[in-house]
Amino acid sequence: MTLVEESPVHAVRKRSAAPGAGRRGRRQENLAGYLFMSPWIAGFLLLTAGPMIASLYYAFTSYNLFTPPKWVGLDNFTTMFQDPRWQKSVEVTLKYVVVATPLKLLLALGVAMLLAQRRRGQALYRAAFYLPSLIGASVSVGFVWRALFSDDAVVDRTQKIFGIDAGGWIGNPDYVLYALVALSIWQFGAPMVIFLAGLKQVPRELYEAAEMDGAGPVRRFWNITLPMLSPVLFFNVLLESIHAFQVFGSAYVVSDTRCGPADATLVYTCYLYQKGFKESQMGFASAMAWTLVVAVALVTAVLFWSQKKWVHYEEAAK
Amino acid sequence: MPENGNVERRTILRVAGASAAGLGLTATAGCGGDSDAGDGSVTLRYAWWGGEPRTLAIKKTIALFEKKYPKIRIKPEFTDYAAFWEKFQTQASGGNPPDVFQNAVGFLRKYDKRGVLMDLKTQADAGNLSLENFRNGVLANGQVDGKQLGVPVGANTMALVIDVKAFAKAGVEAKFGWTWDEYFAALQTIQDKLRIAGDTGYFTIMYLYDLYLRQHGKAFFTDTGLGFTEDDLTQWWADGYKRVKSGLVADPKKIEQVSPKSGLSAGLAASEFTWDNFSIRYEGEGESDYGLAPIPTTNGKDTGQYLGSLMLSAFSGTKHPKEAAQFIGFMVHDPEAGRIMGYDRGILATTEQYDAFKPTDPNNKGVAAYEDEVAKAGVLGKITPHPSGADVVEAAFLRIGGEIAQGRTKPADGAKALFGEAEAAFAG
Repeated sequence: MTLVEESPVHAVRKRSAAPGAGRRGRRQENLAGYLFMSPWIAGFLLLTAGPMIASLYYAFTSYNLFTPPKWVGLDNFTTMFQDPRWQKSVEVTLKYVVVATPLKLLLALGVAMLLAQRRRGQALYRAAFYLPSLIGASVSVGFVWRALFSDDAVVDRTQKIFGIDAGGWIGNPDYVLYALVALSIWQFGAPMVIFLAGLKQVPRELYEAAEMDGAGPVRRFWNITLPMLSPVLFFNVLLESIHAFQVFGSAYVVSDTRCGPADATLVYTCYLYQKGFKESQMGFASAMAWTLVVAVALVTAVLFWSQKKWVHYEEAAK
Repeated sequence: MPENGNVERRTILRVAGASAAGLGLTATAGCGGDSDAGDGSVTLRYAWWGGEPRTLAIKKTIALFEKKYPKIRIKPEFTDYAAFWEKFQTQASGGNPPDVFQNAVGFLRKYDKRGVLMDLKTQADAGNLSLENFRNGVLANGQVDGKQLGVPVGANTMALVIDVKAFAKAGVEAKFGWTWDEYFAALQTIQDKLRIAGDTGYFTIMYLYDLYLRQHGKAFFTDTGLGFTEDDLTQWWADGYKRVKSGLVADPKKIEQVSPKSGLSAGLAASEFTWDNFSIRYEGEGESDYGLAPIPTTNGKDTGQYLGSLMLSAFSGTKHPKEAAQFIGFMVHDPEAGRIMGYDRGILATTEQYDAFKPTDPNNKGVAAYEDEVAKAGVLGKITPHPSGADVVEAAFLRIGGEIAQGRTKPADGAKALFGEAEAAFAG
């Protein structure tokens, strides 16, 4: 017998396996596993990995979908970095990410803390607060948003009560992006649920001990809740910012497909879409897509690097 | 996980068999779409863009066609203008565009260059389609380099749509041959008396700027590029922005918010330039009365107008070129189909259909009277097929014009940007 056969790992496995089922059985088990996975593997290779590799190639070509792609080296990238509309789309997207993500998480955390307390009908409240994140991404809500933020609609009238005469936000390049931010914040349900789960994990005795030592609610939040919640917070920050970088649907619908006015809602993916599908510059669009991938990867890397400084894992503290 | 290896194998085989069978099923289903039924009938896909009334009318004409040609089935596909061309591009690049589709002068060279359009002359020579009896020479609108790439269904021309009540209330009148100065003076009177803007944003409309250029012996497009200079455009946009600031042209923020409704029907302004066959929308959208008025001129006579066309084109790679040609022939010549369509896509292009449809409602009557008047004035020029990429330039013109209206881009910078984007579009 081989060395592997005698290894303790194998011995353990062998005991758990059915009598008579040796290496062959395991191989068959593996085969079954792959077979069950095959639709997903095929889907991933054909619909995700394949197109991604193709688009990586297109990023270095001039390609209008009809004539064969022509190799242009780094031309798409140099044109892109000098393109004022590309720069504008980066600016709009960064603004969106930097404003929407923290506000959304803040609201999610606040509501999660309220909902973490036991009270009657808490399931109902949780469902009610979660609901917007189920429907918020839909096209119809985009239309509703457009209506809400127009002249003389709900938002305009409300701000007039406070003496602000700014008009509707939809037609105003200075405000329209904040209508999108509001739409994003409104969908705080998913991070809220994750925060809720995190809050449930914080040991009661920590609070009890702190209370006994005379710590008030603010102190308890800063010194117990926040550190204990930091892994969950990290997870939410990561997920929500990656998400925000890829915002498309809301900008497209709220701006009536034009990502305007005056390019004020020209988020990155919207410009990518215009370049690819309206102007048939698929090479340029692919270059944009890969630049976004790299940028998001960089942001993720920075977040991972920074977590050492602020994310508190319980194991490490012990 | 089953404990017994044999059972497992059997399970695997069964699962594998089931998925193979499933694949087989989808494969068969996949074939069902395009292939022809056993009875010798063929199916054509027909795609167009437009609003609900057009779709309802076209569906009626399709039913009529299928009755007359029982061996040909028509599968309709329709959407709005912008979505239409995005979808079309994707389908065409995959070698799967509709067999017959609505087309316009801005797309002929683009899709000819990409080999998508059938030269319908060959079908006409084969006797499957008649290219006779077209009115006012509009057949030429579908010709590029000696090929007939589209067959016009109608003829339309740019017009000024006015809020008739507002014009009457302000005591101003639109008359044939009026100049731009007179036009803007009229808008000023409207603004002074009625406290509404005169126009919704004329300087962002490429087809109007084209007319203005034609009044000066130029045109927006040459065969291969732009027919004007950066300075020309800077001037046009600078004048426009000046009029936004003075309130003569409506606040672009408000126009943006009412979109897709027009600023004219929303009561934000008293007039708007558009194609005459679009004028029907205002009655539906707005509360006032709307009418067609003449395009302002530079020299008191020439409006720079021409007859444009929506047309029908066929896919060069269609499996049924003969049937596609027969379908197009029916749609442009059949009197009953003309009666059903009316002037929705412009004044009917062929004499058979033109004679068959006698407009009774004020809208269609207005369009007919307007084009009559324009034709009689003898100002109609010729249009050349736009260069490939014209559609992208038109979109850029509208977008950059909007930025200028909002005060976000200086006219000179905007003109420079447009020339840059146009260069890329023509090269694409």
